[in-house]
Amino acid sequence: MIHFRTPIEGVERPRMEADVVIVGGGPAGMACALRLAQLIDAHNAAHPDAALSKENIYLLEKSREAGQHCLSGALLDPRSMRELLPSFEKEAPIDGECTKESIYYLTRTGKRRFPFTPPPMRDHGNYVISINKFVKWMAEKVEAAGITVFTGFAASEVLFDGDAVIGVQTDDKGIDKNGQPKANFEPGYNLHAKVTVFCEGARGSCTKQLVERYRLEDPKHAQVYGVGIKELWEIPTGRIAKGEIIYTLGYPLTTKEYGGAWIYGMRDSLLSVGYVTGLDYEDPRTDPHHAFQSFKEHPVLRGILKDGKMIRYGAKSLPYGGWNSMPRLFGHGWMLAGDSAGFLNSQRLKGIHLAIKSGMLAAETAFDALLAGDASAPELATYKARVDASWIREELYPVRNFHQAFEHGLWQGMAKAGLQHVMGGANLGPDSKAHPGYENMRHVNALNPFREGRMQFLGAAKGDRKLTFDKLTDVYYSGTRHEDDQPTHLVIADLSICNDRCTKEFGNPCQFFCPAAVYEMVEEAGEKSSAPEKKLHISFANCVHCKTCDIQDPYQIITWVPPEGGGGPNYDGM
Amino acid sequence: MKILVCMKQVPQKDAPLKLNEAGTWIREDVSYEVNEPDAYALEEALRQKEKHGGEVVVVTAGPARAQQVLREALAKGADRAIHLVDDSFATIDPVSTARAIAAAIESESFDVVLTGLQSDDFGFAQTGVLLAELLGWPHGTIIIGIEKTETGLRLKRELEAGHYQWMDIPLPCVLTIQSGINKLRYATLIGIKQARNKPVKQMTLADVADKLGTNLQTIERLYIPVKQKKTEMLQGSSAEIAKKLVDKLRNEARVI
Repeated sequence: MIHFRTPIEGVERPRMEADVVIVGGGPAGMACALRLAQLIDAHNAAHPDAALSKENIYLLEKSREAGQHCLSGALLDPRSMRELLPSFEKEAPIDGECTKESIYYLTRTGKRRFPFTPPPMRDHGNYVISINKFVKWMAEKVEAAGITVFTGFAASEVLFDGDAVIGVQTDDKGIDKNGQPKANFEPGYNLHAKVTVFCEGARGSCTKQLVERYRLEDPKHAQVYGVGIKELWEIPTGRIAKGEIIYTLGYPLTTKEYGGAWIYGMRDSLLSVGYVTGLDYEDPRTDPHHAFQSFKEHPVLRGILKDGKMIRYGAKSLPYGGWNSMPRLFGHGWMLAGDSAGFLNSQRLKGIHLAIKSGMLAAETAFDALLAGDASAPELATYKARVDASWIREELYPVRNFHQAFEHGLWQGMAKAGLQHVMGGANLGPDSKAHPGYENMRHVNALNPFREGRMQFLGAAKGDRKLTFDKLTDVYYSGTRHEDDQPTHLVIADLSICNDRCTKEFGNPCQFFCPAAVYEMVEEAGEKSSAPEKKLHISFANCVHCKTCDIQDPYQIITWVPPEGGGGPNYDGM
Repeated sequence: MKILVCMKQVPQKDAPLKLNEAGTWIREDVSYEVNEPDAYALEEALRQKEKHGGEVVVVTAGPARAQQVLREALAKGADRAIHLVDDSFATIDPVSTARAIAAAIESESFDVVLTGLQSDDFGFAQTGVLLAELLGWPHGTIIIGIEKTETGLRLKRELEAGHYQWMDIPLPCVLTIQSGINKLRYATLIGIKQARNKPVKQMTLADVADKLGTNLQTIERLYIPVKQKKTEMLQGSSAEIAKKLVDKLRNEARVI
């Protein structure tokens, strides 16, 4: 019997009062906290008689240390950081400025270089960074500014009062695998806040509660996602220079799937390499981790990685939908920022600068709300107005149809995207619609038996343990740790669907889309007859918190909730 | 009881370690955490204080980053902290560390000093015992149970093969604590918030330098064991093979 995590009932919960609670300490949350501290400091200097306190502004972060759950390529467009901390380039951990870029289209064994780099992909002036180190540095700034960062604490529930969000409940600690309190049980806090800003990253678990309760998404423009798989490699020097950027399209995905790769030179001997697979593919056996492993077997990559050593692994989902897919950003007592709200430019493959900017704008709105003593929806509506008036809209609106153009494959997509580029982002008709990517998944028996050239990414990768790896080996390199004796945090609404209907219809795609070997179909003695039946096993301790299962499960019965705070991957240096 | 807990920051367990360029220690770009038995020592100190009253003070000797372990200890309920701050504290020998700690608490009078029984990185298991010697106090090692008596403490020590030893010890004393002696508590939000206002006394190497003596230990070379796999076929009759095998197991592999 699997016991799923749910807040424990019938306990007295400690309560804490806050002015602002920021949920999630990634670039958006840290920028929000820092901007808020700056505004309060400036206000207090100008109005010492009506000073505001920073004492009751809190940031919750589920990882044990700041930055450990942050994963990205990463390329930073410095625009918003220069607004937040004008001299950040002098002190922030930056690996290198982008010096050279190229794009290739890969066939199985060959490559074709794009004759020129399309303008949106030009990265001169951007920085290659480790988002882990960068966010860790931001956290130091936030703490030095006098804002309390609670690491190792997740927001597990949103607290509502009628139509308003009044804060969050933190995770219960010390619950055993059967859902019983252990000797060191600590109930989660009820953290009451005037304003709660959700910056949980892609497919945030609290954000999902809000999206469902308030129907924040436009059904015609559902959010669509991809999952990025990344490895950090140490390689002999002289192959990829620090600051060199390579993007590839094509192999191993076919033209039917959306996706592509990045290769960033972080140092002369340190490489960030990763592959994004769109979570809107049709073959349920598609394994994004396998796609990445096959990508590394391409001759171009073999050459770059030869005699190198993989040192870190990670996976994380990202929202691609763009401007039209963004949910409503505010309501009574709450705002959404960063990836949680879809602030990502899928054409430029960048979101960090937008996450930071959105966090800053949310901070400005929260600051005004504190001053006015009013955090109602009309007051917080100024957040949306700020976004619309900022360069975020200037950047995102013209590319609003970009990802949607690729719905019918790469060639149509390139043609449409080219046309959009000339037409200021418009189609030859209304804006493209988007439906959730999992709806594209087809039943196993409805698929072409010849697999349509997809052999290289269907099913799990085996790995040679030098260039390519199986999932378990990779998970080891993600540094993932969870308390073993706790309830399963991948909450499945109806296991009988997994063990019966899904097996017949989709062949249990969770085994394949999960990049961390959490889901496995294991033969067990059957209940009705002696014939063994395959049952779903959930190795939740492997979970790297990428949220792919929550997004891509075709029945939408998996809900990712935060495990005991402090657990999860450790993306040191990623 | 006034209790001092000595804590150390060590590389996180399971962290993939890489050697530094000089091959003398690991590269610093790993995550750090509280040395596991030290966390149990802290928990034991907090429990004793909750039972008998008193004060819990935590001390660490290490680089600036080691302040994290003090903050965690304060968040869990320690009253104040002392930080001997210097990069060199990460590598000096155990007697120097013990001398530094002894110098740092010179003006105080503790009833009990608790340490973890050894560190997860160097694993010397000496600092606590040496500290007892420097203070002129009795010590007990590998402690898995502490009870206050009228004259001092009654201790349970873990011996090998499931054997235990009970002993009485007068105060003041130094005890090195075994992991698993208790169940660790979680830090709470309110604890973390209150910890921000608890005093952390910073002491530099210069403050204790004249008490340190000469550091007698340096790491010359650290290396990753080379994997060696040799297959040797033993020839002869069964009896001869068995004889050779026994010889090899006894004299080469030394497992029987």
